[in-house]
Order: sequence, then structure tokens, then C-alpha cells
Amino acid sequence: MQADKIIEVRNIKKICSEKLILDINQFAVFKNKFNFIIGGNGSGKTSLLNILSLIDQDYQGELYYRGQKINRDEQNLKLRRKFSVIWQDPYLYRGSVFYNIALPLKLRDINQNIIVRKVKAMASRLEIENLLEQSAHTLSGGEKQKTSIARALITDPEILFVDEATTNLDEESIRFFNSHFADLVTEEMTVVMVSHDRRQIKELADQITLLKAGEIELTQKIDNFKFENFGAGIAVPVAELV
Amino acid sequence: MDYYTDAILRALQLIVSLDSEVIQVVTTSLKISISSTLIASVISIPLAILIARNKFKTKKFINIILNTMLSLPTVVVGIFVYSLISRRGVLGELELLFTPAGIIIGQVILIVPLITALIRNVIFSMDEKLYKTATSIGASRYQKFKLLILEARYGIIGAVIAGFGRVLGEIGISMMLGGNIKGVTRTITTAMSLETNKGRFAFALALGIILLSLSFLINFVTYFLQEGKNYASR
Repeated sequence: MQADKIIEVRNIKKICSEKLILDINQFAVFKNKFNFIIGGNGSGKTSLLNILSLIDQDYQGELYYRGQKINRDEQNLKLRRKFSVIWQDPYLYRGSVFYNIALPLKLRDINQNIIVRKVKAMASRLEIENLLEQSAHTLSGGEKQKTSIARALITDPEILFVDEATTNLDEESIRFFNSHFADLVTEEMTVVMVSHDRRQIKELADQITLLKAGEIELTQKIDNFKFENFGAGIAVPVAELV
Repeated sequence: MDYYTDAILRALQLIVSLDSEVIQVVTTSLKISISSTLIASVISIPLAILIARNKFKTKKFINIILNTMLSLPTVVVGIFVYSLISRRGVLGELELLFTPAGIIIGQVILIVPLITALIRNVIFSMDEKLYKTATSIGASRYQKFKLLILEARYGIIGAVIAGFGRVLGEIGISMMLGGNIKGVTRTITTAMSLETNKGRFAFALALGIILLSLSFLINFVTYFLQEGKNYASR
């Protein structure tokens, strides 16, 4: 096993309603890199992300973290707490924006003073400090996504999973995401990102994996990737059109 | 007409003057109803989550049984529990018949299916993303359970209040298992039945007004919790 592989997948199969939706022999997430997963609708991108982030544990095959086989039960809580996910359509819990951002820290029994300090700092970086006392259920789509990004980053995750974070956002929010996202991610962080956004891929990707009908079509460094050959699976971002 | 006006006036007088007998009946009723609702809730909340969130072979069957038990007549529960706690019953030695505990057992059996089914429906209707998000932010199994309860709290409180309303207004179980003993097992409904038969119409009417007011309060709180004006922003 290579040293720079933080997660490795071996012979993973995911069956949903008696249909094989994911069939991957080998796949790796590279440490401290932006690992992009692309592909058309129904190609299995989100299913793969759910398995890698330990959200979905109902699959066949094996998953390795730093060469160690990952258990599929409550024992992996410690490992799960090193990961964070930003969803396409984020779910925010009843309560204020502050409560939502602070929640992952509360679950880890972090001291309240540290929580307050970290939440305020994170909210400031995402320009939502004025929303902290507001109910999360009254936010706009962009504000919700910013809150969910803050919630995902508040724990300084070792691996950050991003599932089409900008798909449901308006133009302004996409611009904010694209211009701020790289700054929000630390150098120690590994990112696994599912995206259709060609600009995001061009600007951020180190490694790119193309999925087709649940199988890996190709996986390689971005330098050798030819967008022209895979145009159908990668959308032109709205921001690029204006 | 004077008969009605007179009865209503005397009933109101009994309420306003905090008549000791009225207070005793209402207190007994509330003590028994609150106890049975609390016990039933402790059983129903985890049971509902278990049914709603887990896949198991007998799930469909359990749901059918649960739905059937929603329309359980109080007298059927009364007969069933009577057979268990009467002198010749399997629990006869515990001497629970004609005690508040006897009524509580019956009422718990009556409302466990109701509260469970209502909470099950609340959990069913919750966004699947809630569970995925809880996992993604590092919640343990217990913390996920806690988060789920917190998210469903208004629905759960509504279900518990509905259960409380059901036991507060039932008469079959209280009469059969409680025996209508003054100061011990005499509840609002059993007292109303007895006092009407005895001709103390104003006293029964006073209890009726209190019961109706409590029912209104229960429905008001339930409505406010589930569909209040700030519901969307909660």
C-alpha cells in the first residue's frame, strides 16, 4: 500500500433494490489532495461518497483507512469523527445557526468557551456571524449551505467529503463557494469532492476519478485529464457563463 | 329551564369555591392519568423509534396489531386486566384490583398503542437526511437517538398529550379496575356517572365542565405545539 493513500477501497459492491449500483475493484483517496469524483447522473458518485465517508455501511467488500481495515459498526465512531460531509441539500437541525455549527463540537464534549470561540471564528470566515442567533429553518439556500460548511469544518476534519455542494445554489452563492472554498480547507485536510462544476475541477482538483454506471472509467492526476473527452458528464458552471 | 340554569350555576359555584370533594376527584384523576401517561410514554417512545427505524421480519405484522389496538374498547382492556389482577388471576396475589395501580396498568395498556402509533408516524415522516447528517457530524448511537427525539419533540409531545387526553376521559377501565372508591380510585368520569345516578346533577356537571376545560386545554396545547404560528421557524 502506498503511503499517500489515506482510504483504499477493495472489491466494493453496492446493491440497491436488487440492482448493482456500484462495482469497484480498486480505488484510493490520496492524502492532503483534492480528490474529485465525477460522472453523469446515476453513475454512483454519491453512493461511493456515502461508503467512503462511513455514512453507508451496507455494502459488500472492504474499506481501509491508513492500511487498517475499517469495521462496520459503532466501533468506527472514532474514525467517523475524523470525517465531515457537506451535502448538496444540507439538513439543519431545529434551533439557531449557532446551535447547528456548534453541534459537532457538543457531540465531542468540547468545553463551552472553546465552542463559542470556534463557532464565532468560523461564522466570521463564512460571513454569517450576523445569522448566528437566527433560526436555521428561516435561512435562504445559500445561507443554509454556508451554515453546513461551517458545521463540517468546525471539527477540523482529516477528510472532508463534499457532495455537489453548489448544485442547488444561486449564482452569488456559487461565486462565494468557488472563491472561498480553497481558503477554508487547511493543508492537512484531504478532500473528496463530487462535482459537475468544470471550474471547480480545473481550479481545485489534484486527482480525478470518472465513474460510469457504477464502475470506474478512469482515475488519474488532473494534469493528464482531457475535459474535451468527458464534456457530457461535466457541466459548465453558471458563474462561467456570466 | 330553571333546572338547567340552576344546575349550571351551582356547578360553577362548586368550581369557583374550590369544593373539597370536586378537588379530591380531580386530583385523583390527574394523578392516575399523569402516572399512566408517563409510564406509557417511557414504553412507547423507544418502541415507536424501534418500529419506525428498523427493518425486521415481523414489522408488518406488528404494525397491523398496533393499528388494530388503536380502536381497543376500554371495557375490553378492563376485562383483560381484571382477569389478571382479580383474586383468582395470575397477578392476584399483588392485590392490585380496586387500587390506583390497577387503573394505571389498564390505562397504560390502552394508550401504549396510541402513543406508539402516533410517534411512529412522526418518525416515519422525518427527513432521511436527519439520520445521515447525524452520522456525518459524529454522533454516537445514543446521541443519534437523542437528536432524533429532539427533532421530533413537538410531534412526540403531541402524541403524549393525545394519550393523556384519552386516559383522562375514559371510564371503562377506571370503573372496572378502580371500583370507584371515594378518595382512592374515584376519577372525574366515574364520579360523574355515580353522582348523576344519585341525582347530584350539579356536582356531575361541575366535573363535566372541568373535564371539558381540560380537554380544550389539551387540544389547544397540542395544536399550538404542532401547528402554531411559529411552527415553520422552529
